[in-house]
Amino acid sequence: MSTAETASLLPKVKAWLLARKPEAGDIEMDLDLIENRLIDSLGFLEFVFFLEELGGREIKFDGDSLHKFRSLRAINENIFGAQ
Amino acid sequence: MDTVANTDFTRTLNRLVELSIDGYYNPYTELQWEEALDDEQWWMPASLLTLYDTKFIDEFDEPQLMKLSKWESIHFYSLNIHGIRELLIEVTKRIHSPGYEGASEFFHHFIGEENEHMWFFAKFCLKYGSKIYPDKSMKMNVAELESDIQTFLVFARILIFEEIVDYFNIRIGKDESLHPVIRQVNNVHHQDESRHVAFGRQFVAQLHRDLIAAYGHARLTEIEGYLRRYIDASLQSFYNPAVYRDAGIEDEYRLRSALLKEPGRTRQHEKIMGRTTDFLIKNGILSEENSTL
Repeated sequence: MSTAETASLLPKVKAWLLARKPEAGDIEMDLDLIENRLIDSLGFLEFVFFLEELGGREIKFDGDSLHKFRSLRAINENIFGAQ
Repeated sequence: MDTVANTDFTRTLNRLVELSIDGYYNPYTELQWEEALDDEQWWMPASLLTLYDTKFIDEFDEPQLMKLSKWESIHFYSLNIHGIRELLIEVTKRIHSPGYEGASEFFHHFIGEENEHMWFFAKFCLKYGSKIYPDKSMKMNVAELESDIQTFLVFARILIFEEIVDYFNIRIGKDESLHPVIRQVNNVHHQDESRHVAFGRQFVAQLHRDLIAAYGHARLTEIEGYLRRYIDASLQSFYNPAVYRDAGIEDEYRLRSALLKEPGRTRQHEKIMGRTTDFLIKNGILSEENSTL
């Protein structure tokens, strides 16, 4: 996926998160999404499927995959494959 | 304080331990396996498919639905494997630790039986599906909660999970049109789970009574909100795009979203959760006025 393509996905991720937690205001690229409760254990699966659909491929899970979802930057690099 | 230090509960636990011993079977030697199972057969009743009671089911012919029933059943057993792993971790953390003196004998049987269940579900998935669907859940961070609330939520989640699974086990196990290998694993699981559910109901009700004594209305409402979301998330976890893909269904993510909006699926969720919701309401764990399940 090109840098331009991945850049176009992040606003959609941000919009998805803010639709569920509007009080968050804005989300910085390095904000910890889990610590700041933008995603939690009960909403996580929905988020994974949303990202899979958006990125056009299944996300592979190994022993510790949570770091891939920690921030918008981590999602951009690990899920959408931005360099 | 021993969490099960009351006479009625102790009597129940002793009885459940006796039943475990009397009804013990060795799944490693007693379960019968076929070398292979034909794809072109029902692997679970059509009424348990996530497409059931929706307009989407008419879009597929019987061989396609049979294929879906295969992958939905492999996914169901995969969910069991991941759920069992989590409950084994939580129960193992507590066995023979302060507060669980009275329950530890029962926990030995519980852990042993759950380990066997995980073994036969994994064997089924790998032998007939050559895969276990991966666990994509995020573990709940309970570290910041008070320990009695943590314990209540852990055992309430175990109970809800076991009751959902049992709804499926009973129906698959009873369906004489299904292959005996399929019925067998569901029947033996149901037999053990009925004891685990009996324990879970009594334990969860008692833990909740302790919470009522310790916390105010606002905190209890928060806990109820969490449990309601947990029930929803558990039911939604049955709708897996990877399963639809394996069954040859296109546009799998859109299908998942559309299915979750179908009124028929809400009806089915109410059926699946019926007896559990009744129990939770009867014991004041869920309030009736907020009940949508």
